[in-house]
Amino acid sequence: MVLPNASEDLSTEMEVDAFRRLFPLRYYECHLVESIRPDGRALARARDTTIALGAVASASGSALVKIGSTTMLAAIKMEVMTPTMESPDEGCIAIDFHMPPICSPIVRPGRPAEVAPVVSKQLSDTISSSGMVDLKELSLVSGKAAWMAFLDIYCLDADGAVFDAALLSATAALSHLQIPAVSMNDDGKIVLMSEEDGERLAQEPVNKEKRKLALRSIPFSLTCILYKNYILADPTAEEESIMETQVTIVLDSSSQLISFYKPGGSVLAYTPAIQDCVALTRQRVKELQSILDEANSAMEVE
Amino acid sequence: MAGKAATTSTTYSPSPTTLKTKAPIFNEDWVRPDGRGFHQCRPAFFRTGAVNAASGSAYAEFGNTKVIVSVFGPRESKKAMMYSDIGRLNCNVSFTTFSTPLRGQGLDNKEYTAMLHKALEGSIMLETFPKTTVDVFALVLESGGSDLPVVISCASLALADAGIMMYDLIASVSVSCLGKNLVIDPILEEESSQDGSLMITCMPSRYEITQLTVTGDWSTPKINEGMQLCLDACAKLAKIMRSCLKEAALGSQE
Amino acid sequence: MVGLSLGEKQFIQGGIAEDIRTDGRKRLTYRPIYVETGVIPQANGSARVRMGATDVIASVKAELGKPSSLQPNKGKVSIHVECSPTAEPAFEGRGGEELSTELSVALQLCLLGGKSGAGAGIDLSSLVVVEGKICWDLYVDGLVVSSDGNLLDALGASIKAALSNTGIPRVHVATGASSDEQPEVDISDEEFLQFDTSAVPVIVTLTKVGRHYIVDATSEEESQMSSAVSISVNRKGNICGITKRGGAGLDPSIILDMISVAKHVSEQLINKLDSEIAAAEAEDES
Repeated sequence: MVLPNASEDLSTEMEVDAFRRLFPLRYYECHLVESIRPDGRALARARDTTIALGAVASASGSALVKIGSTTMLAAIKMEVMTPTMESPDEGCIAIDFHMPPICSPIVRPGRPAEVAPVVSKQLSDTISSSGMVDLKELSLVSGKAAWMAFLDIYCLDADGAVFDAALLSATAALSHLQIPAVSMNDDGKIVLMSEEDGERLAQEPVNKEKRKLALRSIPFSLTCILYKNYILADPTAEEESIMETQVTIVLDSSSQLISFYKPGGSVLAYTPAIQDCVALTRQRVKELQSILDEANSAMEVE
Repeated sequence: MAGKAATTSTTYSPSPTTLKTKAPIFNEDWVRPDGRGFHQCRPAFFRTGAVNAASGSAYAEFGNTKVIVSVFGPRESKKAMMYSDIGRLNCNVSFTTFSTPLRGQGLDNKEYTAMLHKALEGSIMLETFPKTTVDVFALVLESGGSDLPVVISCASLALADAGIMMYDLIASVSVSCLGKNLVIDPILEEESSQDGSLMITCMPSRYEITQLTVTGDWSTPKINEGMQLCLDACAKLAKIMRSCLKEAALGSQE
Repeated sequence: MVGLSLGEKQFIQGGIAEDIRTDGRKRLTYRPIYVETGVIPQANGSARVRMGATDVIASVKAELGKPSSLQPNKGKVSIHVECSPTAEPAFEGRGGEELSTELSVALQLCLLGGKSGAGAGIDLSSLVVVEGKICWDLYVDGLVVSSDGNLLDALGASIKAALSNTGIPRVHVATGASSDEQPEVDISDEEFLQFDTSAVPVIVTLTKVGRHYIVDATSEEESQMSSAVSISVNRKGNICGITKRGGAGLDPSIILDMISVAKHVSEQLINKLDSEIAAAEAEDES
């Protein structure tokens, strides 16, 4: 541990950058006392967030999301599967989260990041339990064919709040998803309908037009760091590495709690702190909802 | 890649009903699918500083081909390696699962990794960072043809962005041989029906070739022609890359 | 790795400059090539090629498979090379992996031609049994038993020899099956189809040492190289593939010069190899 006395003595004569590296915790505490963070944000403020839809031309739905410099690219590829016996008229969404070596100095080829499978699981759980997508909508021919939506999320730049950005990109990609028009041919295989053979009656169209999913309550999340009595919303990678206790809250558009993660950490979360986090998340949900709506309406204009 | 064909998956992506005309005939009046001239490259877009977490990075977009390259280091060599008085270069190229028309597995591409390594090796002053490693990681976001040349050029730009000492920028261009025609900077559709391909990676200011691969059946005059085409295009590409670096440098000064 | 003293290095470089190499060869002379065929009875075809202390084995195995949907009228060929840890201490553990990939990629580039199959040494369309349904998959495996330089040329030669040693069983297709079913096949035990290997190119690697380049370099000579260019040339004198190894850059005019030299050398090499293969085959049958 850093000796507080030693750092205090040195702080007056040391360069800021060196101080930041040598005594990161002291450095942050100096800021927190003033209710500001090193990047100029207030404690409860999230970073600037942008959503660009349709970034991947070869996918049916895609989104590029940036929260500060954390960048996520999500894309959906639609494939056809035979539905299971238990649920013959339901499709399926397979969510996979990847952290390729480009995104962070910690990840190296052949040694995947430890957090990637964890985030992957959290995303699947959140999206399936939120009831955002009605899997019946992904059905094509009951018992014969249904859509399998492969939702792959790539982290291009990891700078904290990875789960928040991943979830936002996943929901944005789902809201952008256009289900292609298909029909079933004589062999019972699903084929794409091109525009010129729309009138050919030999084939029975299963899904006549391109359509979007009717999304119900959309989940949004906010990660906060708990440190002493401070709550820092939307942490950067540096903040996450220094202050360990994190709380992630997922709420849907009508502010109902979907999930809550607090994976350990040295700070115990008391009820008031959690209530504060939920309040922050509620605000953030409104913000994100309007950003997502804006991105979607921009797409429609085009 | 893994020897045998991928295990028969339970899912499939719906294919178009009408199969495209099998092999296009490359006669006199054949035009390229995107309407370019035979010797015309796609518009190239480069930007440095795409990934904040890396020491240097670049994003390149040539038509539908989109790649990101991050450079980390020079940093401590991870593996227990012997002392070396020159630096090491470590490369990796991978694809996203949605990069190709058919959903792939997003595996590391060993072939491209080895080629990228060889293309870059000759341009970097390895003696300037002894005992350490520079990692060059590339991710192909979308594959739209000529992936490897784009990855190589982009990687060179990312190295420059990271401040790694180099003899020269590296530019890479490929040509496809379709019937009797040579087309430069081929797209995916053209690559899949090509009779041969030639890829050149060079240092344009030094007029030196660091990597050259040829496949297919070529006569000597054809190789001459293809090489000249590539070298000219490389020189032009390097100019675009240089101006991108200059812009970035000006931007950071302000 | 080859550890050489300064004197030895200068001796090698000086010799190459004077057109007389340490083993008495000229710059463009190959070491004697020995070919043995049918060395692995379980494989459909196999051959062993020795050039000096370089010793490689190639085997061809044919299996029935399904052609890819993109190219329904072509069979599939995969080439894979492995470096035995006995060949060189550096190949122990995972040491040989990098070289194995490099050699595999180079051989695929040089022997399999463009994506449409033009310029391929192996006629892929001859491997099809029923279009879109059944084809032969050829698995070509190379093994480096002992390494003393010029592995790529030796592997190329051994694959050529192994292919000419390969017999593919004739397949009888049961008629009358409906179009979308997988037809039944009957593989003959007696009738074999021989491969036409006259179009399979040879690989000539030119290694640049100092200002000159040499063919068939030994390990010692390879340790002094600045770069090497492998050029595969077929009987017609057309180039079927080029790969470059080694980091140093090369002037485009030098590469063109290398190509013309390689074409010249390849003529002799093809003839030499063909007569060796014929002799080996004759011995194998007797």
